[in-house]
Amino acid sequence: MSPSRVSKIQLLMVMLLLVVLQFYLRPRLWDARVSPDFLLIALMLFAMRTSPGIAALAGFVVGLIADTLTPARFGAGALAHTLVGYLGSWGRSVFFADNILVNAAFVAAGLWFRDLIVLVASGTDHRQVITELTLYSPLQALTTAGFALVVLITFRSMFSIRLDA
Amino acid sequence: MVSSSDRRYTRRDTVLFVLCLGLSFFGLFSPAPVGHAVADRLRQTVLSPLVWLQTRAEEGRTSRVRFRQVTTERDSTAYLAQFLPSLRAENERLRQLLRLSRRLNISYVPAEVLHQPQVMDGRTLLLSAGRKEGVSVFSPVVSPEGLIGVVLSVSNQSSIAMSWAHPEFRVSAFTVTGNAFGVVAPSNEGGNGEGALEFRGVPYRDSIPLGTMVLSSGLGGVFPKGVPVGTVIGVVREEAGWERVYRLRPAANPGSAAHVLILVGGRTSDLGPAFPTDSQLEAMRQDSIARLRRADSVAQAVRAARAARRDSLQRASPLQGGGAPSSPILGGNPAAPPSLRDSAQ
Repeated sequence: MSPSRVSKIQLLMVMLLLVVLQFYLRPRLWDARVSPDFLLIALMLFAMRTSPGIAALAGFVVGLIADTLTPARFGAGALAHTLVGYLGSWGRSVFFADNILVNAAFVAAGLWFRDLIVLVASGTDHRQVITELTLYSPLQALTTAGFALVVLITFRSMFSIRLDA
Repeated sequence: MVSSSDRRYTRRDTVLFVLCLGLSFFGLFSPAPVGHAVADRLRQTVLSPLVWLQTRAEEGRTSRVRFRQVTTERDSTAYLAQFLPSLRAENERLRQLLRLSRRLNISYVPAEVLHQPQVMDGRTLLLSAGRKEGVSVFSPVVSPEGLIGVVLSVSNQSSIAMSWAHPEFRVSAFTVTGNAFGVVAPSNEGGNGEGALEFRGVPYRDSIPLGTMVLSSGLGGVFPKGVPVGTVIGVVREEAGWERVYRLRPAANPGSAAHVLILVGGRTSDLGPAFPTDSQLEAMRQDSIARLRRADSVAQAVRAARAARRDSLQRASPLQGGGAPSSPILGGNPAAPPSLRDSAQ
């Protein structure tokens, strides 16, 4: 088995682990509005290591899952995650993708941007949009970025992360 | 500069991106039933493992919350149950005090004992009644079990009592059989002297059997006659063949008294009947139970008689047009129709 294939399988295992955490651990954590979004971490880490088209497709699938399992407007999550995945993949060529802090910042920014699109596309009241984007989204972005750091440090060899940066 | 392979790559990416965007917009702007139908189908098929996982997680969280709630309730119940015996004991003591107050034939003032967390607590007691309530110096203090002490000093709203455990406490006493008189004082034997009383000055010739109750004699004009002081549990010493000193188990414990009665009048009265012995109390209890049973049986008989009368009236009413005469003995009113009489009963 070639090293690249091993690496892909390992990456897939990490993604699966994040999916399980999203649906098994997250409901047991504290307030859902500030708990880390494990699916978004998986999407961002995947998007930064693949082509924009595949990242957009992955985002679409993640968004479809979110739309199906959460009572928001159908399609809003898919649109938001597609954009986040696509832009996350393009961002790789602009920033240093092997820097751990850049990865974490990408995750935080992606979450905030995802929330912005979902709220706007869902036709949410502007007061609630402001509250969500200034209070809950930054908090969730922080917790999500924090957990993304843990994942990146734990599986740094798979994600080609430089800790001395 | 972008190579040809990169350009192909970009083209494919763009197609995928546009396709995903298009599908997303289709979902977003499609009618709600369509979106719900797609979501339902996905939930029931490919996403069913995730839904199952989420359901288990929710169940786990709910179970954890319920477990915490049950644990909290159990702890609260256990905490409350700790106080139950003491509450029952206090309730019983208050009942005894009420019964005693009904039996007393002289004036009294109820008071609470305000215990102080000091080693001398039990020798002197701070009581919650004072001059305003009619308490005066040398007023006897009693509890349902017997003598507690005597009031030493009085202020407007409180008073200080010297209990029988105080070294200076003395009370003239006699045995319940009436054959021996003496003076009761705190015991000096055994070091602390707070756990027992001594019945001193009993003539050598007057032998007192163990278990004999000793009451206040009323001599001296401070304590009324007949208040239980203690029970003889042994001989402490004999003084040169002319006096015996008996050890008494005190009737009342000042250290655990929470409510007392201060006797404020009629110190010459005989309070013996107000402090019945255990056997007398048991007899009184049995007597009251028997009276209740008798009352119940009489009430039962009256109910049976009324039921029988109702039955007989119902049987007779078709023949007599409902106007059957009623017996005044059974409480009926002859002027009223049967239905009214029955409802009135």
